[in-house]
Amino acid sequence: MSALGELGSLRGKKTAGQKRDNLAGYLFLAPWLLGLFLITIGPMLASLYLSFTDYNLIQAPKWIGLDNFTRMLSDERLHNSLRVTFTYVFVSVPLQLAIALLLAVVLDRGVRGMAFYRSVFYLPSLLGSSVAIAILWRQVFGTTGLLNQLLDLVGIHGKGWISDPSTALGTLVVLNVWTFGSPMVIFLAGLRQIPSMYYEAASVDGAGTLRRFFSITLPLLTPIIFFNLVLQIIHAFQAFTQAFVVSGGSGGPSDSTMFFTLYLYDRGFGNFDMGYASAMAWFLLVIIGIFTAANFLLSKYWVFYDD
Amino acid sequence: MRLHIPRVATALALATTLLAASACGGDSGGPGGSSDDAGGKVTLRFTWWGSDTRTKLTQQVIDAYQKDHPNVTIKGEFGEWSGYWDKLATTVAANDAPDIIQMDEKYLREYADRGALLDLKKAQGLDTGKFEPDTLSAGEFDGGLYGLNAGINSFAVVANPAVFKAAGVAIPDDTTWTWDDFARISAEISTKLNGKGWGTGALGTNEAGLNLWARQNGESLWTKDGKLGVSPEKTTDFFKYVLKLRDMKAIPSAEFTSQDMNAALDQSAMATGKLAMSFIWSNQLLAFSQASGQQLKLLRIPSTDGKAADNGSYYKGSMFWSISSRSKHQKEAADFVNYLANNPAAGNVLLAERGVPPNTEIRTAVTPKLKPADAASAKFIQDIGKELGDPSPAPPVGGGQVEKIIQRYTTEVLFGRQAPDAAAKAFLDEVNGELK
Repeated sequence: MSALGELGSLRGKKTAGQKRDNLAGYLFLAPWLLGLFLITIGPMLASLYLSFTDYNLIQAPKWIGLDNFTRMLSDERLHNSLRVTFTYVFVSVPLQLAIALLLAVVLDRGVRGMAFYRSVFYLPSLLGSSVAIAILWRQVFGTTGLLNQLLDLVGIHGKGWISDPSTALGTLVVLNVWTFGSPMVIFLAGLRQIPSMYYEAASVDGAGTLRRFFSITLPLLTPIIFFNLVLQIIHAFQAFTQAFVVSGGSGGPSDSTMFFTLYLYDRGFGNFDMGYASAMAWFLLVIIGIFTAANFLLSKYWVFYDD
Repeated sequence: MRLHIPRVATALALATTLLAASACGGDSGGPGGSSDDAGGKVTLRFTWWGSDTRTKLTQQVIDAYQKDHPNVTIKGEFGEWSGYWDKLATTVAANDAPDIIQMDEKYLREYADRGALLDLKKAQGLDTGKFEPDTLSAGEFDGGLYGLNAGINSFAVVANPAVFKAAGVAIPDDTTWTWDDFARISAEISTKLNGKGWGTGALGTNEAGLNLWARQNGESLWTKDGKLGVSPEKTTDFFKYVLKLRDMKAIPSAEFTSQDMNAALDQSAMATGKLAMSFIWSNQLLAFSQASGQQLKLLRIPSTDGKAADNGSYYKGSMFWSISSRSKHQKEAADFVNYLANNPAAGNVLLAERGVPPNTEIRTAVTPKLKPADAASAKFIQDIGKELGDPSPAPPVGGGQVEKIIQRYTTEVLFGRQAPDAAAKAFLDEVNGELK
């Protein structure tokens, strides 16, 4: 008998104590539920409606059916923003996870003062999407920024990294990679769970460090890698603050840092085009949904659940 | 004790993250009209953009007004130009617009056509009797007055005499100079400064540059009936000239220029003494002078034929005072705007920082008190008075984006990513696409 069936049969014969417990449960849930309905679901449904309208923020929305969605097909700047976003996601996420995993493995070796290093490496994750760091980034990669001052010391005359369309996106990729701390901490926790007897047995059989990593660590860590991958991809698709601050809100130079989210914001609040912006938000939801679904489907082939 | 992140947990985690992706929305409708707070406390919100200089002066006026009107509290909300409009759009959409809004020509129709601004002709206690009709008409359309001119300015070249001196170049005669002179002198300064500074900031980081270029060639950025009035040929010429400035090294590198486009006034290349010249609005002379610590000088825009009267200059309403149509305190807001526009006490503080006062009595009263920079910009406005062309039509709805668009195409041209003719065509197509 399924768990659901059991639940069903239990219903109706709740004791007073159970009812009180349930009430308490809902009360504790209430802040979260209220937030979910008022701050998330409500606006989401509103934006779904708005995505079928012409809405200029000031006057009442006008129903225009699928026009917003067909318009996306011929919007060159939107296509460019997709290119920028995809580049960002597919370059920065693998790099970030690789560095996170590498450092996690190194730290797991019982480095002295590990708690300290863990905190230090985790710090960028806390700060990474903040405005302060984005402003710092502008200073570091600007024409007279820290990086160029360092390069000057070794006789290289650097350029304005964030103001050149060919390198601006690169600085944002570096910023995202730099926030490797949070996947690293999760990797570390995962590494701690791999029973040491596997390694001992492998050592007895003569397996070297690399062999042990690829035959034990990596397979047993795949659920964690999967988890990190899914989360970081979603996170990267939604990146906004860094690009907004670094480019001064323009997505520039020449739209080279015009993330999809930034273009969405620009249409909605800069161009009074909130209907279109809402349609874009739903399009992004679909894109992220597809990538996540694909991740889950593919996970069958490489994620190893040891249970 | 295994750390387990089962599929379900992963799914849940991503579901919550996903939800955040599309939460965007707005609110429409809301209470209008003025409520009578007779004797009660009233709080007005007042928003403006501008430099530190402006913020200090404006706050001084607010304090003075509050002293005379103890029942009114005015909360200033201010910021840089970039970001100001996003914020205003957001607050208006959320039905939370400030009561008094410093408005720009670019966005006046955008907001007024959609009913977000009060018709000031209907506002009680706002006197426009001392305004020249021409200065009023800039904020007037469809029979209503939606923005009250807060100052008169004109697009101009700003020159830093200290940088000219450092380069050993004399400040040219701006009544006869041509675009070729401008390029040649700028290039000479760049060469002499040898990397420590440049002749001029790029033309094309502001659509006013294109507008003047068009006006010198018998066209105009906007037409009176709200369309684009500049041809692909003239726009191409304009971008070619921008490219010429780059190739002659009259302007800094493309990277430098693109970085400077987003810099705050106080940190801009002109304010930090890296440029001998740049293009600004005449009323910004004070802010740039204070930021740079130099007594900067205004020069006329160069012309094609060396005659200043043909350089296409025009008086512009530097900015406007508007009142939100949804303000709950329209009467009090109108009274404060009236104070800003007509009260000598306010005029004596604000002087000409927002442009030459359009109220003729105030103008006469404050002229002797102007700080050197303001006096210079007021004199400049007066001097060019006899050389002006036709008034320049205001941008239509959707035209507010043109500044960002031209900056983007200027960047494309400067980096050599688009040829001038391709950039001109793409620029015009995109601007046309934005017009509603």
